[in-house]
Amino acid sequence: MKEELIQGFDGYKDILDEIRVCKKYGVDYTLEKGAVEKCINRLHPKRLRLQVSDIIKETESAASFRLVSKEGYLPPFQAGQYISILIETGGIRTSRPYSISSPPNQTGYYEITVRRVENGLVSGFLLDHVKRGDVLEFSGPHGLFHYNPLFHDKIMVCIAGGSGITPFMSMIREVVDCGLDRKIYLFYGNRTSTNVIFHEKLLNLSEKCHNINYIPVIEMPENGYAGPRGLITGSLINESIGDTKGKTFYLCGPQAMYDFCIRELEHLNVPARKIRKEVYGVPMNISQQPGWPEGIKEDQVFQVKLNGGRTFPATAGQPLLIAFERNGFNVPSRCRSGQCSMCRVKLMSGKVFQPSGTPVRRSDRQFGYVHSCVSYPIEPVELLI
Amino acid sequence: MKDYDAIVIGAGNGGLSAALTLARNGLKVLILERHNIPGGSATSFCRGRFEFEVALHQLSGMGTAEKPGPLRGLLARLGVLGDVEFTEMADLYRVFIPDKIDITLPANRAQIIDTLRENFPLEGEAIVKFFDVVYRYAMELYTFFKNPEPSRERFPLLHRYAFKSAGEVLDEFFKDPLLKAVPGAYWGYIGLTPNRLPFSYLAMLFFSYIEFRPCHIKGGSQALSNALANRFMANGGTIRYNCKVKRIVVKNGKVEGIITENDEEITSFHVVSNASKVSTYVELLEPEHVPGDIFTEMAGRTPSPSGFNVYLGLDCEPQDLGITVSTNFILPDEDLSDKHFSRMHQLSTENNLVAFSCYDVADPDFSPEGACQAALVTLKYTEPWLQVPPHQYAGFKYECADYMINRMELLCPNVRAHIEEVEVGTPLTFMRYLGSPRGAIYGFEQYNKDSLFFEAPRVSPIKGLYTAGGWVTDCGFEPTLKSGASAAGAVMRAMKE
Repeated sequence: MKEELIQGFDGYKDILDEIRVCKKYGVDYTLEKGAVEKCINRLHPKRLRLQVSDIIKETESAASFRLVSKEGYLPPFQAGQYISILIETGGIRTSRPYSISSPPNQTGYYEITVRRVENGLVSGFLLDHVKRGDVLEFSGPHGLFHYNPLFHDKIMVCIAGGSGITPFMSMIREVVDCGLDRKIYLFYGNRTSTNVIFHEKLLNLSEKCHNINYIPVIEMPENGYAGPRGLITGSLINESIGDTKGKTFYLCGPQAMYDFCIRELEHLNVPARKIRKEVYGVPMNISQQPGWPEGIKEDQVFQVKLNGGRTFPATAGQPLLIAFERNGFNVPSRCRSGQCSMCRVKLMSGKVFQPSGTPVRRSDRQFGYVHSCVSYPIEPVELLI
Repeated sequence: MKDYDAIVIGAGNGGLSAALTLARNGLKVLILERHNIPGGSATSFCRGRFEFEVALHQLSGMGTAEKPGPLRGLLARLGVLGDVEFTEMADLYRVFIPDKIDITLPANRAQIIDTLRENFPLEGEAIVKFFDVVYRYAMELYTFFKNPEPSRERFPLLHRYAFKSAGEVLDEFFKDPLLKAVPGAYWGYIGLTPNRLPFSYLAMLFFSYIEFRPCHIKGGSQALSNALANRFMANGGTIRYNCKVKRIVVKNGKVEGIITENDEEITSFHVVSNASKVSTYVELLEPEHVPGDIFTEMAGRTPSPSGFNVYLGLDCEPQDLGITVSTNFILPDEDLSDKHFSRMHQLSTENNLVAFSCYDVADPDFSPEGACQAALVTLKYTEPWLQVPPHQYAGFKYECADYMINRMELLCPNVRAHIEEVEVGTPLTFMRYLGSPRGAIYGFEQYNKDSLFFEAPRVSPIKGLYTAGGWVTDCGFEPTLKSGASAAGAVMRAMKE
C-alpha cells in the first residue's frame, strides 16, 4: 500500500534498483553469530579461569599468587586495576577484589598479593588452602585507579597503607620495566617494620632507578629505627617532593589513612582533582559514619524480604550484599566498595543507610536503587534483585 | 496456560515502552534485562562526583503543555509525564569552524533565518526559501499517509524531494560551502553525512527541534528509564535484571517462550525483542526457525557507525570556559561529506568533527555545584577498532581521546586545567554494553533506500515475535519509544484475533 503511494516520487525506480542490488550483494548477517562476544572477550571477559602456577611468600602474613590462564590468553589491564575472585567457601558464595601487583607488560601471568585479614573468609582460604595447580575463577580486570595520561601528571605521588601497596607495585614495575617517562614517589605506611610487603623489592628498585623514590613510614617502630616514623604527614610529603604543583596524588589504603592524608594534602593546597583515591572496602565501624541514624545499633536485626518471597534477618551493621550471600542469594558483585555498581538492587520499601559520597545515580536515589555492598538496613526492607 | 501474556527482552527505550503499554492494558508482562539497570543506551554512569549522560543529546518532540509534541503525548499515555522533569534548550546548536565561522542557531525559525542572513547576506533569499521548503516538506510528510488523495498536486515537495539527499537539496539552494555546512551539521543525529542523508530526515530534524524545542531530562536519560521501569512495576509488571535471554523458543513457526542463560524456560505466546534485529535472528533464534527472507531483507542494510566519546568532568562552571550553548559542533572544515565520511572509517580522531554537549547550560543542576561536564562525540565505524591488538587498546583510546580534547580546546582554550574526571568510550565500549553488531549505535543505516518509505515490516514471519528499538525504526529517543508502543499495539491486536 505504501508502495502505491510513493511510486510517483521522483527517483523511485532508482531506489528500487538500489534495494535489489544491495539485497543481492549485501551483508551476510548469519556470519555475525558470536562475533560480538568473541571480540569483547579479548578485552573484557566476564569470567577467567586461572591456574595458580606459583605461590610466593612475601611476609609472614602475605603471599603473592601467580596466576596463568588455562586457555593461554590473559586480557590486558592497566597498572592499578584489580581482578575479583569468585569462590565458594564455608558454604558461602562470595567475591573479593584484589589489585594485580604484577605489571601489565608481563603478559604471561597476573600476580595478586593477599594479606591475611583477621577472621578473613577469603584471605584465610587463599593463604591456608589454595596450592599450586589449583584453578580459581575470577572476573576480568577492572577499576578506575590507574594512571590516565589525559589528565594526570607525569610525577606521581603514591601514598600506600598496608596491603594498599599492591596497585602501586604494578605501576612501579611497569614504569621500571618499560622505561616510562614518569617519576614516582612512594610513601608507604605500615604499623611496624616487620611484615612490610615488598620492602626489599622496593628498596632495590629505588636504588637502581633514579625516577623511583621509596619512602617507608613506620607508625610505631621498634627502638633504633632510623627512617620516618608516625603517619604520612604533609610536612613529610613536602620535605620529600617539594612543590606539589605538577604532581598527581594517588592513595590506596584504609579509610583512616584517607581521612588523615587527604586533610594533609588539602593543607598543602593540592586541588581535589589532583587526588585519586582507590576504593578500599567498606568503612570499619559504619555507625560512626556521618549521617548514621541516631538510636540504631549495629547489632540491631531487621527482616529483609527479597523479590516478594523469602524473608531473612540481617544486622544493621552489615552490608546487605553480605546478608544476601550468607542466605544463599547470588547477587553479582565486583569492587565491594560502593563504586562499580555491579551489586545494584532496588529498594521496594524500608530504608537503608549508604555512606555519603557513594556514587549512586541521581535518579537511582529518586527511584530507590542502591549499591547493596554499601547499603545497611536500618528498617525492615523489601528488595528486588 | 503460559507464564506470561508477553515477555519483553531488553529494557531499552523500545522494550520499556512496549512493556509499559502492555502492562497498562492489564496484561501480565515480564521484562528480562541482562544488565542490572534499565535503559540500554538511555543511561548514565558515575565517576567521582559526576554522573555522565551516555546517549541523550537533544530530546525531540516534547513541546510544551500548551503546545505538546508527539513525544509528550506518548509519555502522557505511558503515565510517566509527571515522574520526570524536562529542561528546554534555547538554541539548536553552535557551529564552529576555526578561522571561518562561529554561528549559533536559536531554536526559532525567524531567528535562525535572521542569524544566517546576517552571516550570509548574499544568499538571504535562498535562506528564506530553504526553510520554507523544510517546513512545507515536513508538513506534507506528516499528512501524506493519512491523505485520501496523495497526488503530486497536493504533495509537490514530497514528490520532488523525498528521495533526494540532504546534500543535494543544500546544493540546490545555497552557493557558499560554509553556509551549507551550518544546517548540514545536524547530520550527526542520524549518522549519515549530508550527501548520504535523506533530505526527509534533515527536514524533520529542523521542523521538530524548532517547533518543539530540543529538551533534556533532569537526572539525564536514566531518569526516564527508571521512571518507565518504575511505572511498569506499579502496573503489575515484573522485571528481572541480570537475566540474559539465551533463546527464543519456537514451535511450528510460533513463539512459545524464552530460555534464560541459566536454562530456565519461561513461557509466553508473545515475545517482544528489544535486542538488535541482528542478534534477535542470529543469536536468539535457532537457524531452522528463521525464514531465509529475513536475512535477504537484512542483507540490503548496513550497520550504522558507532561512536567515540569522551566524557569530561570539569571543576568549573560552563561560563568560565566560554560555553554558552548546550550543543556545539566543532568542524575541521566545511566539507562534511566525502572527506568526513572517509575519516569515519579511520581509527584516528585527529582533526575530526566533534559534537560537544554541555547539559549544564540548560540545566545548572546537571553537575554538582561549581562543576560542569562536557560530552565529546565523534561518529566512527567500528572496523578499525576490531583490528587493534588488545594490549594496545588503552593506548589508542587515550591517543584518540587526546585529539578530541584538542578540538574542544579550540572553543575552550582553558579546558585542560579543569579536568577532574575523564572517561572514554570507544566503538568497542558500545559493542560491549549494547551487544550490537559492529558496535552500531543507530541500528541500521538510514539511506534513502532504508528511510521511512521503505521500512522493513516490523511484523515477524514468526508468529508471536515482535521487535522494538533502534534496529526497526529511525534512531533516537522519540522513534524508539514510539516503536515500543507500536510493538505493544501489534501484540494486543494479535491477542484479539
